[in-house]
Amino acid sequence: MDTDTVICWCEEVMLSQILSAINAGAVSSKAIKLETRTGMGICQGRICRPLVEQVISSYTSRQLHESPQLNSNHPVRPLSLNELAGNRKDV
Amino acid sequence: METADAVVIGGGVIGTSIAYRLSEYRKVFLIEQGEIGAQTSGSCDKAIFLQSKKPGFPIKLAKASREIYENLEGELDTSVEFKKNGGMIVIESEAYMDSMKKFVKEREKAGIDVKLLDHKEVRAWQPGLSSDIAGASWCAEDAEVNPLLLTQAFAQAARRRGADIRTHTEVTDILCERGKVVGVQTTHGRIATETVINAAGPFAFRIAEMAGVGLTIMPRRGAVLITEKLDPLIHGNILCSQYIAAKHAAGDTGNVPPYGIGLSLGQTDSGNLLIGGSREFKGFDKSVGPDVLSGIAKHAVRIAPVLKDVNIIRSMAGFRPFTGDGLPVVDKAKEVEGFIIAAGHEGDGIALAPITGQLVASLVENKDDYNDLLKPLRLDRPQAV
Repeated sequence: MDTDTVICWCEEVMLSQILSAINAGAVSSKAIKLETRTGMGICQGRICRPLVEQVISSYTSRQLHESPQLNSNHPVRPLSLNELAGNRKDV
Repeated sequence: METADAVVIGGGVIGTSIAYRLSEYRKVFLIEQGEIGAQTSGSCDKAIFLQSKKPGFPIKLAKASREIYENLEGELDTSVEFKKNGGMIVIESEAYMDSMKKFVKEREKAGIDVKLLDHKEVRAWQPGLSSDIAGASWCAEDAEVNPLLLTQAFAQAARRRGADIRTHTEVTDILCERGKVVGVQTTHGRIATETVINAAGPFAFRIAEMAGVGLTIMPRRGAVLITEKLDPLIHGNILCSQYIAAKHAAGDTGNVPPYGIGLSLGQTDSGNLLIGGSREFKGFDKSVGPDVLSGIAKHAVRIAPVLKDVNIIRSMAGFRPFTGDGLPVVDKAKEVEGFIIAAGHEGDGIALAPITGQLVASLVENKDDYNDLLKPLRLDRPQAV
């Protein structure tokens, strides 16, 4: 590829940055996330995760889905702190 | 068989800090079961608080670590987003004003620069906080750092010094002969070494068991909420007095708020707010239910109403290694020569990582330069559970 490609839109991480992480030894989407912020933005990897996993399987010996997958933690979609707070009265 | 001068087990902020120090003069291997900084050190807040520590030895230890932070970015040759923005502990009720005065006085006596702010001063500095806040203690020496960058930076700097960092490698046995460490068995082969450093945080008891050393460290689960990116909204880091109560409560007894909830609020360089947190004993169960997250949210909105419409994009949970007396264990095991423990920092791992690296280096080199800091961290101290 002659030109660089955006992989993670939220955190503006380029393919070249992900490849440098892989060259430095990263073999999982979690490692790439911790090193480059890929998937840490507002979409939480909903857009970039399949791309990252494809990049890993193309550039390492790992098969797709062999590398540890990123967890999805609550909330599933962004919600305001007020909404999350609900009506709890006991804390 | 491969040979190392020392094998560090655990690639969190503690293990990488130790590997960095030890690799200055030694061939060091660091063994990590998953990724660097992906467990406890990747799911914590970003504060380096001095004033939240107990007066006496805990403050002395934290100060020694804080001093190393002053030049750490230069030493590691990269930014870890270290900021000297100060920190405050807010109190929600006038009723606690007297105990807060005592809190401030004790810390002044311990030699840290803490002052009491009244209602107006708090709001002038942090306009986003509730008008119901009665006051706060303020410490200009409190600082902050990006824990993800910090752990990566220690690991990178250790690599540059020749450390061999093996991720996705699990330790399956500590090999001992005649009461001495002779090697480490991993899922990817055996490493001959006479020195092993157990920096496995909440998993440290399992590693200790492999060497036949008794170590009581329990995982204490903490959850943190992460918001969307925002323009700078708060100054420095904020805790609340309930956080201090939960932090210093020795376990699940006493005056612990539900789910051990207390506010810890900080903003990263990228603009995300980290809103903590809870403290619970749930084994290694990582699935934090909505009741805990909702409790953290409710508590945070009450103290900082400015946050009410801010979007939460994620939560994270980590297991803080709990020893029972709020201090880590940094010591040589008596039973097995060459087996060193450096674990149990609970919620102070980020604050104490720099000094822990120095302390372990001192132990490995048999120096006596840190005896005053090492003595209270001994494995056989009476306070440890």
